[in-house]
Amino acid sequence: MDPPFRRGARLHRKYGDRLVEAVLFLSAITSILVMVLIFYFLTYESFLAFKEMGLKAMLLGPKWHPAGDIFGMAPIIWSSILVTFIALFINILVGVPLAIYLSELAGPLSREVLKPAIELLAGVPSIVYGFLGVLVLVVYLERSFLMLTGRSILAVSILLGIMFIPALATICEDALRAVPKEFKEGSLALGATEWQTVRYVTLPAASSGIIAAVILNVGRIIGETMAALLVVGNVARLPTPLFDAFDRGAIFTSVIAGEMGEVAHGSLHYHSLFAVGFVLLVIVTVLNISADLVRSMIQKKFGEY
Amino acid sequence: MKVRIAPVAAIVISGLMLVSSLFYLFVQPERTLPTPLWAGGLLASIVLISASAMGLYRSDRTIWRFDRVICLIGDMVLSLALVLLITTDTLHPKGEITLVGLSAVFRHELVLSFLVLLASFLLIKDSINLIYRYNQRGREILVFTMIRLSAVFTLLLLGGILFLLLYKGIGAISWEFLTEPHIRLGQEGGISTCIEGTFWLVTGAMLISAPLGIGAAIYLNEYSTHTGLKRAVTIAVGGLNGVPSVVYGLFGLAFLVANFGLSLLAGSIILGLMNLPTIILTSQEALKSVPNSLREGSVALGASKWQTVRKVVIPSALPGVLTGLIIGVARAAGETAPIMWTAVTFSATPVHKIYGVVPDVTQPVNNLCYHLLNLIYFLGAWDVETNAWGTALVLLMLVLSLNIVAIVVRNHYRKKIAW
Repeated sequence: MDPPFRRGARLHRKYGDRLVEAVLFLSAITSILVMVLIFYFLTYESFLAFKEMGLKAMLLGPKWHPAGDIFGMAPIIWSSILVTFIALFINILVGVPLAIYLSELAGPLSREVLKPAIELLAGVPSIVYGFLGVLVLVVYLERSFLMLTGRSILAVSILLGIMFIPALATICEDALRAVPKEFKEGSLALGATEWQTVRYVTLPAASSGIIAAVILNVGRIIGETMAALLVVGNVARLPTPLFDAFDRGAIFTSVIAGEMGEVAHGSLHYHSLFAVGFVLLVIVTVLNISADLVRSMIQKKFGEY
Repeated sequence: MKVRIAPVAAIVISGLMLVSSLFYLFVQPERTLPTPLWAGGLLASIVLISASAMGLYRSDRTIWRFDRVICLIGDMVLSLALVLLITTDTLHPKGEITLVGLSAVFRHELVLSFLVLLASFLLIKDSINLIYRYNQRGREILVFTMIRLSAVFTLLLLGGILFLLLYKGIGAISWEFLTEPHIRLGQEGGISTCIEGTFWLVTGAMLISAPLGIGAAIYLNEYSTHTGLKRAVTIAVGGLNGVPSVVYGLFGLAFLVANFGLSLLAGSIILGLMNLPTIILTSQEALKSVPNSLREGSVALGASKWQTVRKVVIPSALPGVLTGLIIGVARAAGETAPIMWTAVTFSATPVHKIYGVVPDVTQPVNNLCYHLLNLIYFLGAWDVETNAWGTALVLLMLVLSLNIVAIVVRNHYRKKIAW
């Protein structure tokens, strides 16, 4: 039998523990709540624009012309597609080899140098990238291609491609490292060179992780704001010809960040910018979910190791 | 051995051409090109490579598969065509090419440098193949060299950013720059109010995200037995992690500014929510690395769940959690988009403090990132470039030093703790 004072302490402890658990539970569901709130507010604020303009005219309209209250997102979507493709090309061109270097080739010393360097590079604020983009990249493009203004779809693609190299390399490296040693050793024992092993064994085995990383990076590229705002030129019209990456453009984030500052609260323009944000949010969320799906799908196909 | 000297010489020549074309392509697009040198170098490489290919043909015929021959001849023809292009001046120095309505002009220098870059790369590839007699080893060396170059590129990128900002920005930094507010649209004065505003914004953000994030991680890792809930939270955290920062800004504008106005409070909440996924994920990682034997030992001694968590699990996971928090601080300090419409103002406003201690959270503040953004907008019109470099340098140093601290903390404890 417990003495009474001990029983009190135990009761106290029991309810104290319950209270702590409840508080922790609340903080755990905060993220669900925030996610729901974000979707709710963006839907709510953009609903009016979709209602006024019509869903089809809003998403596929060829003109974004705030002064005339015409808000068609086709130019924005098209520029974003162009930017995503070019940026992704640069991104993969450097990011995947970097990951291969880190996981397969680098000795302990070069890892010791390169890993922190990559982390620091990932930490550089996007506004600093934008600043350097304006003063270095844009100037370089103007000089080399005699462009009227270097602020262009190409400039933003190059900048974003370079910006997200660390992000891609880090995730790809993890994917490559997760490939079991036996795979590589088996291949090397069969007489394959190291490159053949990387090419035909390690890369295919890590493909799920790499594809997922690339999909996640697409989300990052179209979601990046400040760097894009400063070098994209912010002219929301379809380039002529359509694939003219040297023309100025406007992507989702740059339109929102560039125009939201001057817009009257509650106007159609205001709601249309929320609509742009809503489309962006939906795209990025779909990309995030599909990255997860790809990972699990390919894992199922190749089997867990 | 004769077979080997020729391709090595070809590699050296092509390598020089590669470097020089890169130089003209990226560093000095306006200089006149060393076209005679390039033509000579290309010709010499072509001759050397052909000679060594002939030599190889004589000594060992079996390696000349059809595709290899085609590839080699193709490269030679391309390089020869380029030599002809250079020597006959088809792309004469005034030549400017505009392609199908693209809004760029491809100048003769640019096109030529690019073509030389391409050709010298192809020649190097062929030479390496010849040296290694087309076996896998040569291919491996070629590919691994390119892979190594990506690492070099990354280091150069970081070094370049740091060097450029230090070189251009160090001149603006002075005691006055750090301790005085800006005047005349940032053309004069310093950034003291911006540093102050950033400090309070980040502090507010951490006050929100640290308890919520760590609490959520503890619940998910230590308490939750309900897999459905765990899954839902994980999905939500992943989703929040991917939400673009500008969407957080829109959310803040619609949700918080309507209630609190343009204020430090609104900005702190938005930055805090934006940081939440980072802190949850890193804390979870840290908690996961605490071995179960510690928990079991504590419970076996009669400790309750919360006592175990508080006295055993959290102290063991502290370095990892701390790393996450520091990275959160760095991220919050470097974000612009979420606070643009929710918390900041450009005109110099020192943070108003109640009783001299607690900042008045209902007022907007200055912010380093937002200040820099405005200076970039003013670049052409006002004389703000020096101060813009200075501001960018201060911001970068702030964020990078936080990141370095995080890396050091993590590495230190990773070495120290061996379960």
